[in-house]
Amino acid sequence: MAAMGETVIDVADLRCRYGDFEAVRGVDFEVRRGELFALLGTNGAGKTTTMETLEGLRAPFGGTVRVLGLDPFRDRAALRPRTGIMLQDSGFPADLTARELAALWGVTSGRRATEDVLERLDLGHRRDVRVKQLSGGERRRLDLALAVLGRPELLFLDEPTTGLDPESRQRTWDVVRGLLAEGTTVVLTTHYLEEAESLAHRLAILHEGLVAVSGALADVLAAQPARIEFDLPEPLDVGALPMLSGDVVHRPSGRVEVRTAALQDDLGVLLAWAGREGLRLGRIRAHHASLEDVFHNARTGREVVAA
Amino acid sequence: MIVALGLAELKLLLRNRTAAALAVLMPMAAGLYFALAMDGEQTGWTMVVTLQLLFSFGFTVYVTVTTALTARRQDLYLKRLRTGAASDVVVLTGVLLPVVLLGLAQALVLTGISVVAGAPMPARPELVVAALVGGLALSCAAGVFTSGVTGTAELAQITTAPFFFALVAGGLVGSSGAVDLPVFLVPGTGLGTLVAAAWGGPTDQVGPAALSLALWAIAATALATRFFR
Repeated sequence: MAAMGETVIDVADLRCRYGDFEAVRGVDFEVRRGELFALLGTNGAGKTTTMETLEGLRAPFGGTVRVLGLDPFRDRAALRPRTGIMLQDSGFPADLTARELAALWGVTSGRRATEDVLERLDLGHRRDVRVKQLSGGERRRLDLALAVLGRPELLFLDEPTTGLDPESRQRTWDVVRGLLAEGTTVVLTTHYLEEAESLAHRLAILHEGLVAVSGALADVLAAQPARIEFDLPEPLDVGALPMLSGDVVHRPSGRVEVRTAALQDDLGVLLAWAGREGLRLGRIRAHHASLEDVFHNARTGREVVAA
Repeated sequence: MIVALGLAELKLLLRNRTAAALAVLMPMAAGLYFALAMDGEQTGWTMVVTLQLLFSFGFTVYVTVTTALTARRQDLYLKRLRTGAASDVVVLTGVLLPVVLLGLAQALVLTGISVVAGAPMPARPELVVAALVGGLALSCAAGVFTSGVTGTAELAQITTAPFFFALVAGGLVGSSGAVDLPVFLVPGTGLGTLVAAAWGGPTDQVGPAALSLALWAIAATALATRFFR
C-alpha cells in the first residue's frame, strides 16, 4: 500500500480550450494521498473543465496531468476501476430503479460492491423506486452512492451538495469524512465555501483559468489579515485611535475597520484604550479571515500567496 | 458488462410506453397486416416479406436506435457510462444489442407468419441471411449516425423520416424485379432485390444488390463514427 502524503495527482501548466476560448490557462497543483483537495472558483473559472481533464473525459490542450502516475485520458481503462466519479449532472436514465442502477454500476464501474452503498447513503428504503420519482436530494445521494461503490482509492466530487437541504448536505459531509478516515483521496469542487472550509486539507482557488490562491487551508487562511470592526462614537476621528499594527479604514457609515496580521495584540491595545477613555465601541466584532475573505480577494485580483 | 448494459437498455426500452409501442407493437401490427391482409398470392410474397423486413429494421432498429441513443445522451447517461470502466465501444454495443436482437427476432417471427399464411419457403436461404445481416447492420449504423445529428429525442421523429422512407421505397422497387443500376443508390433497394432473389426471383442482380447493401452499411458506419459523440 502506498504511503500517506505521496503525490496522487500532479498537474503542471494545464491548458484547456473550447475552440478559440482558453478556459484553463496554465494551472499547476498537486494532490497528495489521503487528503481532501478542494478546487474553488466562480462559475467559468475553469473548475469543471479541470475536473473533466483529471477524470479523463477530455484531453488537455497543453501541459501534463498525471493521476495515480498515469495519463487520465489515454490510460482511462486502467484508471477507471481505481477512481470514483460524481459528475455535476447525475446522468440517470429516468426509468431505472435505484437498485437496478447500483447493480448496473457494480458491473460497469469495474469495481465490486463491498457493502450496501444504498444503505450507507440512507437510500435503503427507496431502492425499488424509479429514479424519476426520487427527490433531487435523493438523486444526489444515489449519485454519491454509485461514486463510492466498491471503495475507489481516488474520488472526484463535482459540486456534490449543490441544491441539497442543510440536513442532506450534513449527511454528505459525514459520508465524505468517513471515506477520508478510510484513506480515500478526494478532489472536490464546490460553491459553498463553508463546505471547503470544513472538509478541505488543501485547496486551490481558480480565477479566469489561473490559480489565484493555493496551499494548505490553514496557511491560506493565516496569510489573510484578520479584521476588527466597530462603530466609533461621535465626534471622534480615527486620528484619536491608539497605534495599531494593522491598516485602519474609516467608512462613511462611521464604522471603523482594522485589517491586521496581529489580531490579539491590536484588539488588546484597542480595548485598553477604550477602557482608559471611557468609550463604548459599538457593535464590536473581531474575527480571523474566512475562506469567504480569501475568495473575495482572489476574485478582486488582490495578490495572495500562501506557503 | 455488455450483458448488464443490454439488460438495462431493454428495461428502459420496454418501460417507456411510446418507445416500446414504436419498437414492438407498430412493426408487429404492420407485419401481420402485410402477411394476412395483402393477399400474398396476388401481390407476391416477396413484396410482403420485404415490407416486413423493412418495418422491422426501419422502425424497430433504425428509429429506436436513433431515439434511444439521443435520449440517453440527453439524460447524460452516456457521459455517466463513460466515467465507468466500459470502453466507448462496449457502451455502444451494450446499448445497441437489445435493439438489434429485437429487430432480428421480429423479422424472423414475421417471416415465419408469412410462411404459415401461405408463402413458400425461400429457395435460396443464404440470400435471406445476407439480407438480414446487411439490413441490420445498415439500419443500426444509420441510427447511430442520425442520433449524432439529432438534438433531442422528440426531434428524432423528424430526423428519422428521410432515411426511413428511402429505405421502404428502395426496398419496394428492389423487390419488384429488375432495376436500373443507379436505383441501387437508394438504401433499401439492395435488400429488396436480395429478398426477391431468395424467393425464386431473378438472381442476376444479386451481386450489385449485395454490394449496394454492403456499401450503404459501410457508409453509414463511417458517418456514425464521424458524427456520433
